[in-house]
Amino acid sequence: MNSNKGIRNLFIYGGLFFFAVMAVLTYDTMQQLPHRAPEITDEVNAGKMVWHKYDCIGCHTILGNGSYFAPDLTKTAQRKPHEYLKNFLINPKIANPKATMPRLGITEEEAGKLVAFLDWISKVDTNGWPPKPILAAPAMVSTGELSAGQKIYQSLNCSECHTLNGIGGTMGPDLTHVGSRRDRVWLKGHFKDPQKYVPDSVMPLVIASDADIEQLTDYMLTLK
Amino acid sequence: MTIKYNSQKIAQNFYTFAVLLFLLQAVVGIIAAIQFIWPDFFILNFNTIRTIHINAMVVWLLAGMMGAAYYVVPEESETELWSEPLAKIQFYLTVVATLSVLLGYVWMGLDPQANKTVFGAGLLNEGREYIEAPRWADILIVASLLLFLLNCFMTVLKTRKWTGIQGTLLGGLVMLTVLYIPGMFYTRSMVADQYWWWWVLHLWVEGAWEVVAGALIAFMLMKLVGAERGVVEKWMYAEVCLVLFTGILGTGHHYYWIGTPPYWLWIGGVFSSLEPVPLLIMVWDALRTTRENRNIENRAGMYYITGHVIFTFVGAGIWGLIHTLPAVNKWTHGTQITTAHAHLAFYGAYVLLILSIIYTTLPAIRGIKVYNDSRAFKSFWLMTISMIFIALTITGAGIVQTIMERLMGLDYIAVKSGYNMWFWIFRAIFGAGFLIGTVVFVKDYFSLGKEQ
Repeated sequence: MNSNKGIRNLFIYGGLFFFAVMAVLTYDTMQQLPHRAPEITDEVNAGKMVWHKYDCIGCHTILGNGSYFAPDLTKTAQRKPHEYLKNFLINPKIANPKATMPRLGITEEEAGKLVAFLDWISKVDTNGWPPKPILAAPAMVSTGELSAGQKIYQSLNCSECHTLNGIGGTMGPDLTHVGSRRDRVWLKGHFKDPQKYVPDSVMPLVIASDADIEQLTDYMLTLK
Repeated sequence: MTIKYNSQKIAQNFYTFAVLLFLLQAVVGIIAAIQFIWPDFFILNFNTIRTIHINAMVVWLLAGMMGAAYYVVPEESETELWSEPLAKIQFYLTVVATLSVLLGYVWMGLDPQANKTVFGAGLLNEGREYIEAPRWADILIVASLLLFLLNCFMTVLKTRKWTGIQGTLLGGLVMLTVLYIPGMFYTRSMVADQYWWWWVLHLWVEGAWEVVAGALIAFMLMKLVGAERGVVEKWMYAEVCLVLFTGILGTGHHYYWIGTPPYWLWIGGVFSSLEPVPLLIMVWDALRTTRENRNIENRAGMYYITGHVIFTFVGAGIWGLIHTLPAVNKWTHGTQITTAHAHLAFYGAYVLLILSIIYTTLPAIRGIKVYNDSRAFKSFWLMTISMIFIALTITGAGIVQTIMERLMGLDYIAVKSGYNMWFWIFRAIFGAGFLIGTVVFVKDYFSLGKEQ
C-alpha cells in the first residue's frame, strides 16, 4: 500500500541510530571533560553565575561562541593583569577611558568571582584554539634593522596594551605620536612610577635597566 | 482557494503573531547594526537589543511552524481539529509567555541588577544565547508545545489517517520539543554548558527544524503545483533522512574548540561537510516538480518557496561549508564569518519557509480566489537583495577580522571599530533596505484579500 515504506523506515530507524551514536559520544565526552580543565571550585562556579546574571554573552564571545560585538574572553585572564580586569568590570571607563562597555553595577565581590571564572576558562584545553597569529612576527618587522629601543619595546610586550601605527592593544594610550606629547623627563619618570604621573593608571612598572629605559625613551621621542 | 475545515483558520492567529514579531526583529536589527557604529546609540545596550533580535526570531519561526501545523494536520487527517478552544488557549499562552519574557529583557536592560539569581538561574534572563528565556518561561513554552502536540495527535487519532507528510511534520515537532530540554538544566562547567547548548541550537536548526521544513515543502509542492503525493513524499523522506544522517553528528563542528575531546574534529568535519547534500536535493526536488507542473495558481507562494530552497542551499549550505572544516574554522571560529552565515542561513532556510507557508495557505484561509501579488514580489526582492548584501558586508568584515586579528594579531577593538567600520555602515544601509521589504510584506499580510 505504501510504496515509500522502505525509505520511511530508513528515516526513522536511521535517525534513531545516529542519535544513539551521538548519545554514546556524549557520554564519552562528559567522562573526559574533567581531565581537560582545572577543577571547578565554588568560586569559579559563582563566577559563572555572575557571567550568566549580566548576560555577558549578549556582547562577548567565550570559547568563540556568543554575540561577536565585543572581544572573545576565553584567554583574557592570561593576557591582562587580574587587578586591571577587576577594576574594568567594576567601572570600565575608569580603568580604560576609551572603553565602550557600559557600567553594569558589577560589585567588587562579583568582579573577583568573574575573574576566577575567566581564569578557569583560560586554562581549558581547547585543542589549540585560538591559534597564535602566524603573520604577527612578519607584520612587526620593519624593512630595516630594529633600533635598540624598538627591540626593548618588543621584548617588554608593550604592544599588548599600546598601539603603534595601528598595531597593538587598546588598553593603554596610542603611542604613534607620543613623542610630540611627552618629553624625556616625563617619559623616564613615568616608566619608573606610572601612578605618580597618571593617577589610577593600570600600567605596570617597567622593569628594565637604566640603560634600557634610556633607549626606550629615545625610541618614544622619535614617535612624532 | 478555500479551506476544507473551518478549524484550519486558527493558523491565522499564529501567522499574525509571527508577522508582528518578524517586524520587531527587523526593527531591533537596525538598532543593533547602528550600535556597531555608535555603541551608545540607544537607551538599551547591545546585549538587550541582540537578545530581542534573536529571541523574536526563534519565537516567530516557531509560531509560524505551529500555525502551519494547525493548517496541515486537519487537512491531512481529513477532519476538524480535535479542539479549537484548546488551540486558542495554547495560542494565548504562547503570546503571554513571549510578551512577559520580552518585558523582562527590557526591564533588565534598564536595570541589570533586576536579573536576580533564583534557584541557580536568572529571573529575567538566563544569560545563554538564543535560549535566554528564564526557567519559568521555559516551562510555559514547553507546556504550550505539549498542548499543541496533544491537539495535533488527537486530531490524527480521530480518523487514524496517517500520511507521510503529517507524520514527518509531527515527528519533527516532537523532536523539536524534546530537544528543548537539554537547554533547561544548569551545569557548573562552561564547557558542558556549551556542549548541551548546542544540542538545542544545532539539533534544532540543522535537525528538527529541517525535518519540519522538509514536510512543509512537500505539502506546499502538492498544494501549489498539484504534485503527486507518492513522489513528493519519497523525496521528502530522502531529504529528511539525509538531514538526520549528516546533521546529528554534524553537531561535532561546534565541538572543535570548546574544550571537548579532539575526536570531534574528525566527526564534525566529515559529517558537517555532508550537510549541504540534502539541501541540494531539496533544490533539485523543488525545481523538478515545478518544471513538470506548469499550471500555478498561487504565483507568490511558488516564488517564495523557490527562493527558500535556493537560499537554504546558499546560506546554510555554501556559507556553512566554507568554514566548517577544522583547518579553516581554527582561524574563523568566533569571527563575523559566523554572523554572515547565520544571517543568510536563517533568512533562506526559515524566514522564507514561513513566508512561503503563509503565502501558500493564507489565500485559502481568507477565502480569496485571486489577489494582487505585486507587493509579495516587491517585498521578496527588497528583502532578498538586502539580505544578500548584508551577508556579503558581514562576510567582508569577517575576512578582514580573520586576517588582521587572527593571522596578524591585531587587537579586536582596533579591527572592529577601525578597519571594519565601512562594512558596518553598509550593513546598516542594507539593513534599512531589509526593513523596508519587511514593512511591505507586513502591509501585504494585513491587506491580502481585504482590498479591492
